[in-house]
Amino acid sequence: MSAQKDCEFLVKRARDLVSDDPCAAKAWLITARTLYPADFNIQYEMYIIERNAERTASAGRLLYDMFINFPDQPIVWREISVITAALRSDSQDKHALFLRGLFETLPGRVQCEMLLKATEQCFNTLEKAEMLLLLLKRFPESVVQHGVSLGETLLEAEASENVETPVNCFRKLFVCDVLPLIMNNMDMRLPASLMQKYMLKAAEFYIGYVTRGPAADVQIQGSQDGGSLKSPTVSRGSQRYVIDGLSEKSSVVAEPWERLLDIVAVVGARCEWQGDKGQRSYVDMLLRVKELCRYLPSLEGDTRSRCCSQVVICAALVLFRSAFIYLSSVQPALFQGVNALSSGPWILVEDFSSVYSDLESERGAGKHKKRKLADGREKTMSSDDEEGLGKGRGRHILVNKTEMPSWSETLESFRTARESWDLLHSHDGLETEFKKICASWKTDSWLWFRIFLTDTIIYQGQYRKALSSLHQMAAVQQPQPGQQSPSGQGSLEHHRALIQQASCHYALGEYRLACEKLLDVVCGLTPPTQEPTKSPEDWSRGKTKTRKGNDLRLLPCTGKAVLPFCFQLMFACFKLRTFTDSRDDLSLGHVVVLLQHDWPQGEMLFLKAVDKICQQGSFQYENFFNYVTNIDMLEEFAYLRTPEGGRIQLELLPNQGMLIKHHTVTRGITKGVKEDFRLAMERQVSRCGENLFSVLHRFCINEKIMIIQSLP
Amino acid sequence: MGDIRQSLLPRDVLSAAKELLYHLDIYICNLVQSGRQPPQVDSKTQELVEEFILHAPKDRNTPARRMSALQELQLLEIMCSCFQEQSRDTVRQLMFSALFSLQGNQADESRMVLLGKLVSMAIAVGRVPILECAASWLQRTHRVYCVRLAQVLVDDYCSLVPGSGPTLQNIHSASPRFCCQFITAVTTLYDLTTEELTPPLELLQMIVSWIQDDPRLVLINFLNTPLSGNHPISSLDVTPLGGLMRWCVKAPLAYKGDKKQALTNSSTERGREVGPLFSALHLSVLQVLMLLPNILNEKGLYGRLALLQMESLASLTSDLSRLLDQADKHAPSTDTRALPQLALDRLAQALQVSMANGALLCSREDLRAICSRLPHNNLLQLVLSGPVMYYNNIHSPAMAFSPHAAHSPIASHPTHPPLPTHPPLPTHPSSHPQYPAQPFMTGMSFPFRPSH
Repeated sequence: MSAQKDCEFLVKRARDLVSDDPCAAKAWLITARTLYPADFNIQYEMYIIERNAERTASAGRLLYDMFINFPDQPIVWREISVITAALRSDSQDKHALFLRGLFETLPGRVQCEMLLKATEQCFNTLEKAEMLLLLLKRFPESVVQHGVSLGETLLEAEASENVETPVNCFRKLFVCDVLPLIMNNMDMRLPASLMQKYMLKAAEFYIGYVTRGPAADVQIQGSQDGGSLKSPTVSRGSQRYVIDGLSEKSSVVAEPWERLLDIVAVVGARCEWQGDKGQRSYVDMLLRVKELCRYLPSLEGDTRSRCCSQVVICAALVLFRSAFIYLSSVQPALFQGVNALSSGPWILVEDFSSVYSDLESERGAGKHKKRKLADGREKTMSSDDEEGLGKGRGRHILVNKTEMPSWSETLESFRTARESWDLLHSHDGLETEFKKICASWKTDSWLWFRIFLTDTIIYQGQYRKALSSLHQMAAVQQPQPGQQSPSGQGSLEHHRALIQQASCHYALGEYRLACEKLLDVVCGLTPPTQEPTKSPEDWSRGKTKTRKGNDLRLLPCTGKAVLPFCFQLMFACFKLRTFTDSRDDLSLGHVVVLLQHDWPQGEMLFLKAVDKICQQGSFQYENFFNYVTNIDMLEEFAYLRTPEGGRIQLELLPNQGMLIKHHTVTRGITKGVKEDFRLAMERQVSRCGENLFSVLHRFCINEKIMIIQSLP
Repeated sequence: MGDIRQSLLPRDVLSAAKELLYHLDIYICNLVQSGRQPPQVDSKTQELVEEFILHAPKDRNTPARRMSALQELQLLEIMCSCFQEQSRDTVRQLMFSALFSLQGNQADESRMVLLGKLVSMAIAVGRVPILECAASWLQRTHRVYCVRLAQVLVDDYCSLVPGSGPTLQNIHSASPRFCCQFITAVTTLYDLTTEELTPPLELLQMIVSWIQDDPRLVLINFLNTPLSGNHPISSLDVTPLGGLMRWCVKAPLAYKGDKKQALTNSSTERGREVGPLFSALHLSVLQVLMLLPNILNEKGLYGRLALLQMESLASLTSDLSRLLDQADKHAPSTDTRALPQLALDRLAQALQVSMANGALLCSREDLRAICSRLPHNNLLQLVLSGPVMYYNNIHSPAMAFSPHAAHSPIASHPTHPPLPTHPPLPTHPSSHPQYPAQPFMTGMSFPFRPSH
């Protein structure tokens, strides 16, 4: 009783003095401690004074004493948990730094003991894991004992908590913190199967992390979103990202692909993979497994299966990484952390840049026509595939290099990804293994990867497959445009799919479907106010190289680039119908209208059309004066009516045909018609300065139904 | 050596002194080399030193030769470089002894004067070897002379030349041994009995900062000296602990004394200024005491050597009771109650911590004897009666300190057995009276228990 009172008295005196004369307060406590060395409160008071004054060394010493002498005091444990919390946090505030410094003053043995005991008292899996991790990081010798069990605990927690994505707090801790400790500890002996399992867990995490979509975080307003995209959800490179359960700082994973490569290197070395131990790049990795693949058929048993898994893992990682790099250029907005402002989406389509100039291009397209005729009798996929494979070899992909500065890396990645994909499907054994990985990672649900696969199929010329994939994706994406953003991204995304579909339909000879899709797109666009200046690159390319007509192009998904492409594709659809022996004035008229675009690229074809009109002796196209404003063309048509031009009968005014029929007996009326034509021509010449894009855009919108109906 | 006198006589004072130093150096080198034990300077040589360096009158007939101030300065410079250049420690020490060991004759006066000037100069120009020799001198010499030397230095550095304090501050790093002895001497000199015997503020600040920077400084002589038990009674204490303790305990009353003598602003301000300094110094003293058990155990002296003497504590308590009486007479108002209580608190703390750490070897009964005349103070009563034995703090586990502490990497806190067992003392063989029985008398009020 009395002793307790003594102690209370001593502590109270110290407490009363501490603010005015801290030295005196400490003198009291030192005295008190010599009187009652077993009293906890005296020592705690001493500790509190030092802690509040943030004197690291003396506070550390007193904490140590308390830890040793009063190991069962709840207050000591509360204090220790505050300190370990500071160790786990990445806060830089002064007090947290002090607490961390305090911990550092303790001898290693005590640190170890403290962490272990603190871990035991933790009930939250994540906290417990973080605590144990502190221990493992500080005391590498403890990795052998606790490393794998900690890893398994985290994986179990992930499984039992039903997390939606591999990018979760448990996996992050496992992959980024625990796994390197386990892998790099030379005293650990793990079975190869376990290491491969862990590595796949790591790969799934890193890929998931890199390809994570922009978070729809309402708090962060995209105030500085530039360019044409006004959507607040469009990712800025710097948008913050937090893994649920972790702090912002620990949610950051630096250089994920490099980290993954590190793990592959360690696992490779430990599983005694074939070939060079130090795999320093993904490209090397692909080269190595390609080589390895050649020996695969000659191997048997264990060696074979080990070799198989090496090939599949390496090729799969190269595939996903290259596909990601390709997609991050082509569809940057899909990913967070990829700078979306640099460029919008790009579309892989058939190239039509030489459609106006190349007279021989029908040859390529002619094939389609023939095949299209055969299609009438229930065409199956197989012939499509056959042809696709034939076409798939060595196709060129054109891209405007100034608009896509990373063009070479993008195309190279696309190529590497396709190569890896092919490798993975070059052998039944490999394919089965790869499909297992895909199934466990649910790659089917990776939108970005489907986009890559679709582009690959297009590249291979398997347009029918590509179309069905595009339809599926459209179905998946359907609800998105509305919710994602009111204007920009969603519709752009939608356009992208339509344009790609149109391109595929065209390649399959389905011109009407192609034009349907295109006109949907064009209707949603507003024509650029300025006519684009023709890029010299396009000129030279058209002139110098004769394309075979099966090149591809990466087209920027912007109104400025899409509209010309639509005109080109529409033109390509009509071109074949027009320049055949049969007469189709409507198509010929459309062709003339469309030939205005990119004038005088299509001069040769225009002359060819004129020839045809001359041969026919007459030409009827009532929309002529609505949509033809090209002065050269107007002159040519004016000339055609003259005796020198061959007195071609032109019915270019609306309802003119009716008038002629009606008044055919009266010469005067014919004269009146002539007068109308002259007046129309004169008026038309004054329209020459009109924005051609607006004219053609209006053409597409107003004549949509007629255009579609005039195609088979 | 005696035969050189004839050659020295015709020379002027400075060159004769120079010449003698030169010969002395050679003489002592030979002495050390010959290996004679103990190496001792003969009386003839002593006489030469007194005649040609100290210029003490040889007899009444011959008038003493005198040096001009300039010549004296030159001689000091020569001596400084002489000690600086001598690389052998033994030779330096013997040389210093030959010059400055007190002989109990007339020449001692001039010896002390010259020594004061030499040490003061060595401090000014940072001559470490001289400070080391002076530290040894302070250990050997009667405290009266030590105090005189200290007085000279304090005058030189704290009173005469304002702003020269920082120079003195450096001795702490130049020669910790000298610094420690200097503190001991200064605490012996200023016993806070009168205005003159309170340390200058500058000096106090210096000492506080020295000890705060490095508490072990206080123990450095104790740590470095092989204690052979034949520590001369008349010399300074081995540590300044006792002196510092006296300062801290008496300070609240001594500085308060200023007030009544001169009710000027400066003196009250001074009181306010020194308050925190003494508080910090007192804490430092307690912290140094806490270091002792490990050191004493290492030396095998725990419980065998008392760094604090009962006699000096007795004189402290009687001083204190006198001061308290005075304070009571002169200022009976309540607002001054705090200062006597502060003094008593500090005394109680110092006694308890000293005893608990083996610096003071006595029983609580002995303490009660020397504190009997002091007025009531709660803490002092608690200390005098000692802790309650059966300590039943519900939180604390069974105390098993020693095994932990034995492995403890932080060996700062001594281990305290729950029962303060005092080693048997030669002077007070039986000193455990009725206390062990005390806790059983639960209902009884104990006279020494603090009333709180």
